Amino acid sequence: MNRGPLLFLGLFATMACSWLGFVLGPQLQLGGLTQTNTVVLGDALSQSYPVPEPGDARQGAEVYRANGCAFCHTEMVRPRSLGSDIVQSWGARRSLAEDYLFDQPVMLGSQRIGPDLANVGLRSDTNGILLRLYDPRRIIRGSLMPSYRFLFETRKIGFFPSPDALVLPPPDRPPPGCEVVPRPAARALAAYLMSLRQNGYLFEAPPPGQKTNAVPAVKTAAAK
Amino acid sequence: MNSDPPDKPVNQNGAEPAAGFSTVPIWLVVVFGGAFYWGTLFLSDHAGGFNKDVYEPYQSYEEVLAANPQDPTAKLQAEGRRVFELTCAACHQLSGTGQEGKAPPLAGSEWVLAPGGDRIARVVLNGLTGPISVKGQEWNLAMPPWRDNFSDEQVAAVLTYIRSHFDNKAGPIQPELVKAARAEKHPGPETSAELLRIPVQ
Amino acid sequence: MSIVVSSARTGCSASPQARKEGTGDAHPVPLLCLFAGAVLWLFVALTLGLIDSLKFHNPEFLAGEPYLSYGRVHAAQNTALLYGFGVPVALGLGLWLLCRLGRAALAAPWVVLLGALFWNFALAAGVAAVLCGGRSGYEGFEFPAWCAPLLFVAYILIGVCAFVTFDRRREEKLYPSQWFVIGALFWFPWIFSTAGLLLLAAPARGVLQALIACWCAHNLSGVFLGFAGLASSFYFIPKILGRPLHSHYLAALAFWTIALFGSCGGVPNGAPVPAWIVSLSVVGTGLTIVPLLAVATNFYLTVRRDLEVLDADPTLRFTYVGLMFWLIAGAQQIAGALPGVSAITDFTWFGAARSGLFHNGFFGLTVFGALYYILPRLLGLGPAAWRPGLLKAHFFLAFLGVLITYVSLVSAGVGQGILLSDARNSFADVMRRTMLPLRVSTLGELMILVGTVLFLLNFARILILACRRCRAEAKERA
Repeated sequence: MNRGPLLFLGLFATMACSWLGFVLGPQLQLGGLTQTNTVVLGDALSQSYPVPEPGDARQGAEVYRANGCAFCHTEMVRPRSLGSDIVQSWGARRSLAEDYLFDQPVMLGSQRIGPDLANVGLRSDTNGILLRLYDPRRIIRGSLMPSYRFLFETRKIGFFPSPDALVLPPPDRPPPGCEVVPRPAARALAAYLMSLRQNGYLFEAPPPGQKTNAVPAVKTAAAK
Repeated sequence: MNSDPPDKPVNQNGAEPAAGFSTVPIWLVVVFGGAFYWGTLFLSDHAGGFNKDVYEPYQSYEEVLAANPQDPTAKLQAEGRRVFELTCAACHQLSGTGQEGKAPPLAGSEWVLAPGGDRIARVVLNGLTGPISVKGQEWNLAMPPWRDNFSDEQVAAVLTYIRSHFDNKAGPIQPELVKAARAEKHPGPETSAELLRIPVQ
Repeated sequence: MSIVVSSARTGCSASPQARKEGTGDAHPVPLLCLFAGAVLWLFVALTLGLIDSLKFHNPEFLAGEPYLSYGRVHAAQNTALLYGFGVPVALGLGLWLLCRLGRAALAAPWVVLLGALFWNFALAAGVAAVLCGGRSGYEGFEFPAWCAPLLFVAYILIGVCAFVTFDRRREEKLYPSQWFVIGALFWFPWIFSTAGLLLLAAPARGVLQALIACWCAHNLSGVFLGFAGLASSFYFIPKILGRPLHSHYLAALAFWTIALFGSCGGVPNGAPVPAWIVSLSVVGTGLTIVPLLAVATNFYLTVRRDLEVLDADPTLRFTYVGLMFWLIAGAQQIAGALPGVSAITDFTWFGAARSGLFHNGFFGLTVFGALYYILPRLLGLGPAAWRPGLLKAHFFLAFLGVLITYVSLVSAGVGQGILLSDARNSFADVMRRTMLPLRVSTLGELMILVGTVLFLLNFARILILACRRCRAEAKERA
């Protein structure tokens, strides 16, 4: 292997193999994915799935991205055979490529220092999320999540208390005459998290325990 | 394997390293071969035929298809399509648009779309003769009876098929309805006037 | 930096040792810029890593300001480690090896210097932007969209000079290290441009982004940094021992199998992509057993008669320990890719432990071993210029630090995975029960950081020695 050109040719070929398998091949298969008409769990009517995030959820995704939330939280549910995600009630089914159709960037995450968030919109409410952002250790004892108080504002109560003001437990309450109000970034982030749900029925991950298209097994003749 | 390199260091202090030319040990070649074999087995089991719809733990497209919940009308649809393409399409055309001199259209036909399906069940079973108005146009042809060629299930299937295709959106027909129509034992083909006397559900 | 430039102006040429050895003259200034910048970035990365690690002891630590929140600090740390330390030091090592092995002078050294400075400034701007919340959202490719083309241009400046240096070689035969260096130089633009185009410029649709980001990060670490570290190991171990490398063919086997199989991997089992992509990744990772065994066999048969000598020379010591860490990290990667194991260990500290072992244990130690050899020769000093006490302390701190971090994080990860597989354990429970090994890892990270500081002190010392020697020589000539 003493000749430069042969070396380059070999490197090009090996790089091309890998690139074809992981970049071009998937692009050819998944690049043309579109919405499907399907039922969303809990709703009998057929609708488009997935739906693009509404405006404030889109901005919330930017907050999620900027603060690196994906370093502690994943957004993908693995199938039963490959992990304990469904056992931990993080989703009713595994995540599929189609679930991320309109996400940009797709922040799947690679480590769980906090729970998975793929379906957090189905198991939380906006107020709970805001409280958790303000003081995580009040909600979960011993939680490692840092508090995101810079997303909130403590200010003097005006003529009337703000309807958005957080109702906090006594140790967290602001001084009398003040209230804690989420900033637009916090509200956007909460909207984004509430939009995270992977509850559309998709062909590739059929729900178990239903009458299926499977051909019934033929009874074999009993041995004499 | 080649002989071992000499005991004395070959490179004097300051000279660049050189590489010996001992061959690759045979056990490593065996390991490579074994690993490669494992790799191909793994791919044949877990790659799902390189199909984009196959996700773990399914191993083939057929498995995914089989695991999906059954559409209650799927069987009816499949059989109905088969019957239609083999028999009805000859006159009514594959696209259901009918043809001048052969058969009236099924696409958008008010007879096909009428709720209940009693009328068209009798048309298929007993045939049709005489003038009939379809989509505002007069037709006067002869449709043969099919009661001796197809079972109740097959007639129900083909009726379900034409009611859900060609841009028609009407519900399926059950075999019981066809059985009841057959039990009337209507002699000879139907006429438009007789059909119109049958109430629409 | 001003010390180095002034020494160049007073006419200090390449080391007398280099002239005596009759090997290529690698102009010291651009390489020193690359190496010094890289080690400073490593210091930044390790400090940021320590800040993050301390947050596991007290999550409120520095949580008030958005610039120092965990997510942003981690992104900055990743970027500093890979692109501030990893890429420049790999480039510097590669250039030095090409000059040495090809017996050619470095082509256009001032273009290389320009590239190095441009890279460092662009990266500094990118890291600052990340801390201000401008990260791109892709792990391993954190800097904002405007930063990527700047870095690419800087790389091209250096890369072209490297290829010209390679082309001008006077030694026809290629030694394995040269393949690895050329391989690394070739690989980086592909990965970087794919990531830049398909993630930042014209983002691919949906989950393809995550797949491409994963592939790029895997290739950057496993192939690019792996090639750079192995190039160093393949050079220094035979050279210092004075023995030939056992087998050219084993080295070639390792090279091509890393290029082919090492580049196919990194997709976690259970990722939301069709089964074939995940299977290809598993098979690719599984087949990396071949290069692991090839490299292990090659080096064992090279050094087996001189095992007692391995600890005598600092470069040898750093390099062979780094190589062992590479083997352990590689073996763990194969084990962790198998579906049965990954069901438990994926997304836990297991993966983070392996990553730390690879970057700090293998790449860090190997690079330091190389720097302990290269830097005095670049500055025209002998190998005895290093202060032995600081050097020894650096080795033990780095070695023990990597080991402590690795063992504690692996046990945290495996514990986390096993506990999570039981539905009765809530996630919060599991995190509380795996807190202890996580906190122990902070000690390891602190040790690695202190070791790096000792290296910087040693480096500053020999820089000052070199300047004094230069001024003395200049006075003598005057």
